[in-house]
Amino acid sequence: MDADWDEVGRVPFPPAGANEFSRPPSTIAFDTCQELLWTGNDQGRVLSLYGTELQRYTSFRIHPRTDGPVRQLLFHDKGVIALGPRTVHMAMRRGLPIWNIRHEDMKDLQCMSFTSKGASEILVAGSQDKMFVIDINKGEVVKQVPTEQHYIIMKKSRYICAATKAGRVDMLDPISFKVVKTWIAHTAYISDMDAQNDFIVTCGGSLKQQTVQNGGYMLDPFVNVFDLKNMTSMSPIPFPPLAAFVRMHPRMLTTSIVVSQAGQMHVVDIMNPNTSKVRYANVLSYLNMVEIAPSGEALAMADNESNIHLWGSPSKIHFAEYAQPVEFAEPEEPAPTIDWAGETPLNTIGMPYYREILASAWPPNLISDVGAPPVKYDPAFLAGLKQTEWGLYGRNARGMRRNQAENTRSASLSANALQPPKFLSEKAREMAKSSGLTAPA
Amino acid sequence: DVALRADDSLTSELSRELENGRLVRLLCKLNTITERGDHAGDSAWSEHGERYPLKLFRDYVFHQVDESGRPVLELGHMIRCLNKLDAAADDRVTLVSRDEQTVFVVSYKDLKVMVDRAFNELVKRTKQA
Repeated sequence: MDADWDEVGRVPFPPAGANEFSRPPSTIAFDTCQELLWTGNDQGRVLSLYGTELQRYTSFRIHPRTDGPVRQLLFHDKGVIALGPRTVHMAMRRGLPIWNIRHEDMKDLQCMSFTSKGASEILVAGSQDKMFVIDINKGEVVKQVPTEQHYIIMKKSRYICAATKAGRVDMLDPISFKVVKTWIAHTAYISDMDAQNDFIVTCGGSLKQQTVQNGGYMLDPFVNVFDLKNMTSMSPIPFPPLAAFVRMHPRMLTTSIVVSQAGQMHVVDIMNPNTSKVRYANVLSYLNMVEIAPSGEALAMADNESNIHLWGSPSKIHFAEYAQPVEFAEPEEPAPTIDWAGETPLNTIGMPYYREILASAWPPNLISDVGAPPVKYDPAFLAGLKQTEWGLYGRNARGMRRNQAENTRSASLSANALQPPKFLSEKAREMAKSSGLTAPA
Repeated sequence: DVALRADDSLTSELSRELENGRLVRLLCKLNTITERGDHAGDSAWSEHGERYPLKLFRDYVFHQVDESGRPVLELGHMIRCLNKLDAAADDRVTLVSRDEQTVFVVSYKDLKVMVDRAFNELVKRTKQA
């Protein structure tokens, strides 16, 4: 963290612009390819914020309001994957849905991670005995994996590092999803975890005698570190203000950023934990979440009073390493006003240039029947309706569906068409047919 | 000279009628797919479903309002939007839901793909019957 890091922006969540109650976001994440910060709220809404001013960009819902919060966000070239307790949703960054998976065995999903197949497959887990493997390109559940542990956080590095509520971290093989090694990081619970390259860092708590009045739990005054190269735990990083959140710096491979609930930040080298840089985020309440941008040049913190604080160097803050431009709507040139008069030809507004089949092309094999006589209404049905000045009204008592298409042609033919005189042979045939039909019965 | 002029006017009349036919067909397609009653329980049309943007596009084209909420009836806007949809233009529009909480940035190309998909599904269901 450079010397000139400071708070660059602070916006209330959700930002002004819509009539929504402010409430802390349930998850935040920086986009990996565009200058966007993504947030999820406790009713299943995902909202993206653009640039360092954190302007509203797109917003969409991943599941019905009653389903609960958005739990986690992952990024893919094609779009964003959002996890709810019972849903996995993928949408383009512009907001359009790509797919939405609901499965009856998805009961309380908590976390997800990419697997060994790069960005084409994810593993989804939660407080339930099943994990799901989902193919991102097809949008389908490929496999279900039974699990004994209930995971709440997942991060992928060399292994899929999965943390349980109870302070245990399992290292899962990214191909077979078998537990390779288990590490008890904290004695009571884990509050945050990050994994990158060769290290896992965790914050968590333990049961303390002197804090029984607070339920007995207290954050530990250190960050635990695990070395994935040698598969051993390393000496913890001391953090006297009680470590609540931790992130590895994406570019400086042994540097981690540790934050307390009250906003005290330490930038520490894991290899040399005794020297650290200290910063204070100006928060009036407690922090809920801390996230670092993939460029390492920005840090977002969400507090209990529904603010999002953005930290970075004011001169060169950016989120993504190689940012692609964000796609906005073109400003619309005012349409020529044409009047509704019947004489105005509709081709006064030209077509844009095109080379594909037009959307108005009607499929050639749809045959429509024109010229059938109009529907005849039963006089009893008409009599049951009430007369008003604009027409008749009443309930639909005709025993048909709303807007049901009727075959009026055959009905009128059989019922009230004049019986044409028949040839003798025809009469004989009809006689034979009717007797033949009735004979077996 | 008179014959040439007559020819010209015939051509322009013809292009006018072609245009009308095209627009009517597109309108019919749009209206057959949006707001069907049998979609009520279908999650594809709900707020997190894949057909929701089509509903918002219908609002964008036909339910324009000015800053005080009065309806704006601009035939030019409607026809231009329909033409762009017809030709699957690359232009992007912002679609906002009625509660102003859902915002999509959509190109006409995406919309056309969605219209085609929804309409083909209807055609398929017709044939099954």
